[in-house]
Amino acid sequence: MSEKPKKELTKSQMLSKKITEEYLDQAFRARDEGRLVCYTTAISPVEILVAHDIIPIYPENHSVRNLTAKKGAQMCSFVEGMGYSSHLCAYARCDLAYRATGFTVTKGIPEPDMFLACNAQCFTLTKWFQVLSRKGGGLPLFVFDTPQYIRDRRAREEIIKYCVIQLKELISLLENITKRKFDYDKLREVMKYSAEASILYKKFLDMAQYIPSPISIFDALIGMEMTVYRRGTPQCVEYYRTLCEETEEKVKNGIGVLPKDKERFRLYWENLPIWFKFSDHARLLGSYGGVILTSLYVHAWSFEFDLEKDPLVTLSENYVSRFSNVTIEDRIDMALDLFKRYSLNGMLMFMNRSCKAVSFAVPTIKDMLVKKTGIPALVFESDMGDQRFYSEAQIRTRIEAYFETLERLGLARKPA
Amino acid sequence: MWENMSLEEIKRCADDPFPSIRAWKKEKRKKVIGTTFADVPEEIIEAFGMLPVTLMGTHKPLKKAQALLPDNACSLARSNLELVLSYETDLFDGFVLPQVCDTTQHLSDIWRINVKNTYFESYLAPRQTDRESAKYWVRREIERLKDSLSDFSGIKMKEENLERAIEVDNENKRLLKEIYRFKSENPSSLTNREVFSMIKLSQQVDKTEFNESLKKIKEKLRSGTREGYTDVILAGITCDPLEIYDLLDEIKLNVVGDNLLIGSRYLQGEVDPGEDLFEKLMERHFKRGFFSPIHGNVFAEFEEIKRLYKENNAKAVIYVHIEFCESQEYDLPDLKKMVRDEGIPMHVIETEYQTTSLSHIRTRLQAFFESIKGI
Repeated sequence: MSEKPKKELTKSQMLSKKITEEYLDQAFRARDEGRLVCYTTAISPVEILVAHDIIPIYPENHSVRNLTAKKGAQMCSFVEGMGYSSHLCAYARCDLAYRATGFTVTKGIPEPDMFLACNAQCFTLTKWFQVLSRKGGGLPLFVFDTPQYIRDRRAREEIIKYCVIQLKELISLLENITKRKFDYDKLREVMKYSAEASILYKKFLDMAQYIPSPISIFDALIGMEMTVYRRGTPQCVEYYRTLCEETEEKVKNGIGVLPKDKERFRLYWENLPIWFKFSDHARLLGSYGGVILTSLYVHAWSFEFDLEKDPLVTLSENYVSRFSNVTIEDRIDMALDLFKRYSLNGMLMFMNRSCKAVSFAVPTIKDMLVKKTGIPALVFESDMGDQRFYSEAQIRTRIEAYFETLERLGLARKPA
Repeated sequence: MWENMSLEEIKRCADDPFPSIRAWKKEKRKKVIGTTFADVPEEIIEAFGMLPVTLMGTHKPLKKAQALLPDNACSLARSNLELVLSYETDLFDGFVLPQVCDTTQHLSDIWRINVKNTYFESYLAPRQTDRESAKYWVRREIERLKDSLSDFSGIKMKEENLERAIEVDNENKRLLKEIYRFKSENPSSLTNREVFSMIKLSQQVDKTEFNESLKKIKEKLRSGTREGYTDVILAGITCDPLEIYDLLDEIKLNVVGDNLLIGSRYLQGEVDPGEDLFEKLMERHFKRGFFSPIHGNVFAEFEEIKRLYKENNAKAVIYVHIEFCESQEYDLPDLKKMVRDEGIPMHVIETEYQTTSLSHIRTRLQAFFESIKGI
């Protein structure tokens, strides 16, 4: 049997590969070079670590690699044998299995010297990092506590003050650990890169507004990786500049994920992806003329840093107001903005059993979005990483029925 | 209403306090504010002449909450939401819900959206407790709660009312501590169910009145025998349903120490006297043991359990795990190992608010204590 020809990598893909390899090489060399490795949450004020020459590592990203490679069930069941419940976050279960067995489809990640957990994302990460901190014999764990950004002007002002105080505490901790003074000029420089990369990242995501859309959420999820782990670096800016150029080229040439006359259902996705069904879902939906364009999750890294402000203030304002830390009403407003700008005509609401932080509000969000848009929703339950909780036949049948409903209601896009 | 209660009445009322709260509200024409676990400063609500009632679920069937929450949501959260959506729909004038974990954070929004026409405030408890900023934040939140209640009630809180509320609540905790201590030394004098019903009810009724009942009960306490009893430590967040205490009583287990919210963590909440009462309320937040599955590190919880076990010369630890409580689920494997490595026998009870099988728990408890006989 002849080998399947390898698809040529795009410029941005080559760049991503290069940046990732360099980043991991640097991280594995950190100890030898006297630098610290800090495990942190995907949403966290990583700019402070970068400015202090500390290498951030994201155990979530590492877990995603294993879950995408369909190793979730195997790794999660191992951890259940250690006494951890199957209700816990699949990222955490996968990571704890890696710690216990050393198994991974990647080269692994370096051991941590400390932890930074920001609970604007979820509190699960804090609990998971507590476990890792204990296993490391009590390694320092800094919790950047971001109270829910409730709709109350006075409360919001106080929350920002509280967050700024905490960032100062974080800086003091880093100075104590490294015995080096924190350089605020360096932070401003890092913030500049973060701000620029965020603008470009958002520009890339927003190209899903075009009809046909040049990108699907699956492209967005791949593109997202760089903003998660290389925020605050010139490499990250370069990557998004390249990615935007390539995507603009597709727009210019009318190249869509689906051809214009086949793109009938432009879909919103609520929640994190089902990582092990990544390409299967793209194919399945595509066969019905459906393409998922966006979600609040991928927009979680569309920061809007204000470089005119005190860096600690703009960091606080941005991190505390992520979709996962605002009220349901704010989340609805954010989603409605996407429905409008992206001309969406369908929504898939995923109840992710191992991410309660995001899933808790899904039934309420579904009800409110359906009411406000008049578009019916497909709700289904599964797990972002553990295949044991995925029912192929059931989901396929429901997707088919959902598209039929949209069709019957006259919501499908008509070919131009 | 609650000033002259017998032990039997306390047990009954702790099981379903709402009819009496309803009658109290009608009689006194005062407002009732629902709260959930943990850390809402009740004294502030009391200082406005309102009754804070900590909601601790319902054992009535689920009807509406299931459609609003994931299947694997914490059963206490689900049960509390059901309580206000289906059963006590018009009792509460408002709610102050604390946010202490992911579940309580998102539950707050769902509650506010679905329970209409009532006052609602979130109490944003800090989720870090070992730095100065946490103190700053607790103080700010207590002050914000005061302002919010002031806007709601249209009155300004008087300093002397807060002082009085603190005195009453402190007295309540002192009385409960004395009764708890007496019971642990004289296990046959009271049942575990009776003691923990008093602690539970204290968080749900007017303490000025209830303290009178507690004083009378305390006066009537008579020494009892220790013979045949096994001393145990109870650990976790809550222990519910109250029938679990009946099981402990049935096999003569005597709770001599605990770290529960409906237990010693509540009793530790006395507020010190001082000029600046807000400062004192803030200090109280940090003085009492936290409900460690949320905030703390397992090392600290282990040390606390070990201290309770050794100081009280207990024979075992019973840990109550509320199913689907993520915080507990991350801590339990390490905690179990630490406790067992120390040579402390520990038994874990799994509970869920609506479907706890007591016969299953009874069998496992009996087997466990049979196995440690002679230790």
